[in-house]
Amino acid sequence: MKVEEERMKNERETEGVFEPKIVGFLCYWCSYTAADLAGVSRMKYPPNLRVMRVMCSSRVDPVFIIKALLDGADGVLVAGCHPGDCHYQKGNYYARRKIALTKRLLESLGLEPERVRLSWIAASEGPRFAEVAKEFTERIRQLGPNPAKGALFL
Amino acid sequence: MNVFVTKGEGRGNLVFRALLKGLMEKDVVKVALVCAEDPTGNSFVHVLTGDTSVVESSWPVPPVMPVQGARVVSKITRKGPVELPTAVVLRPCELRAMRELVKLNQVKLDGLLTISFDCPGVYPLQQYLSGDRSFMKASIDEAFGHFDLSGTRPLCQICHRFTGELADVEVGFLGAPDEGHYLIGHTRRGEEALKALGYQEEVDLERRVDAVQEVIKQRIEAREGYFKGEFGPKVVGVEALLTTLHVCINCHNCMRVCPICFCRECFFDSDALKVLPGNYLVRAERKGALRFLPDTLLFHLGRMNHMSTSCVSCGTCEDACPNDVPVSRLFAMVADKTQAIFDYEPGQDLDRPIPFIDYQDEELHDYEEPYIESTTHRPSSS
Repeated sequence: MKVEEERMKNERETEGVFEPKIVGFLCYWCSYTAADLAGVSRMKYPPNLRVMRVMCSSRVDPVFIIKALLDGADGVLVAGCHPGDCHYQKGNYYARRKIALTKRLLESLGLEPERVRLSWIAASEGPRFAEVAKEFTERIRQLGPNPAKGALFL
Repeated sequence: MNVFVTKGEGRGNLVFRALLKGLMEKDVVKVALVCAEDPTGNSFVHVLTGDTSVVESSWPVPPVMPVQGARVVSKITRKGPVELPTAVVLRPCELRAMRELVKLNQVKLDGLLTISFDCPGVYPLQQYLSGDRSFMKASIDEAFGHFDLSGTRPLCQICHRFTGELADVEVGFLGAPDEGHYLIGHTRRGEEALKALGYQEEVDLERRVDAVQEVIKQRIEAREGYFKGEFGPKVVGVEALLTTLHVCINCHNCMRVCPICFCRECFFDSDALKVLPGNYLVRAERKGALRFLPDTLLFHLGRMNHMSTSCVSCGTCEDACPNDVPVSRLFAMVADKTQAIFDYEPGQDLDRPIPFIDYQDEELHDYEEPYIESTTHRPSSS
């Protein structure tokens, strides 16, 4: 099924339909496991999300997000354990501060903060992961291609 | 403790020379860290001296800021507190940066007697070097208490944190009658210093408080107006931002002179951004062409992420830019916004950790995005 979807996606791309590229930083302990669960439960979600596993959502330096956005991504998802459930006690609280700062910074420079998303997805929430991936892909699809990725002199 | 000092031989630098000399003669401090004119007469440097004759010919409040004072204090005290009591004259922005560095373990406050004042601003270094130096030197001394100095750094003109209230001893010119000045001891160390100098009579500061509030109000209005009206449109949006930054030559001078950027190796100079030729080729293919040196925008946006919550809006970065990128205004504009989400003011409260190492259980929920049942587009909550 996955292969079939990928093939259709490629077809749409060659037809000139915009297919978002989304980078997902998923925390090892919760959100990555949720993605795994969604997979083994055969849940359907768009293949636009490229997953990177990080040991904690707080490992995501805002620079990673900006680098992704400047270098070809249309959206960036950071997902981790729910507040209070961090494997390292407080990592996700730090992550929340970092993402809030990044979004505020992008907003103050008119650089589309809605291309960055922070969500809490627990290890057991496979359906939720699929839903977040679907929702976010849909939003980015509506936003259109990221203007920064094509800017020649960036 | 607040005292009033009548006008002596003059204003400005004379006041500070006399104050420092008094502190040294009464043995309140043994050493002073103060600016002095370079022997060539071209610029100013910080000097560490125990010699009162050097202090007498010093320029505690020079018309320029070649090196941010917080960096100097950090250089001296990073490995440990000063061994002899030391007086240090700092502009308010230097003082705030120094206090940020205390939180970052780059400055030890013990043994330091900090002196600050109502700062009239500084001239951009290039302008001083190529302009009428004696005029600028004189106008700084004249400017105390008036706050109408023109031609200063763009950020100085919209600075609303221009008083020295965070120092041990504050020298206040605003609101002081007959061209005199106030000496205000804000800490125990500061009060003891004033007592040692023989001051006793307490005065009422009501006049000063009103005068200061008035200027703060004007400056906040000017600041918001400038960032929203004149400057904002020049940098907001990908196109505008690139137009503003296109002359950046990636020299990283702004980072090197920044008092907050204390990291021994900056992420943007590190191996993390050094990649194999193939990587550049892939990026070039994707975009059509890749600009070199690469990652200019990444550097500025990334640095904003790393240090804007501690940015004190001093403007030193813009002084150091060889290509006149309005980098300090860009950073200050963003910093005002990023500091606001944490309700954080750099340098104000020493007990409040920097936002990156602090959190609250319940905060910033606007930036989290739970999924909603339907798959329809949900507008951004930011």
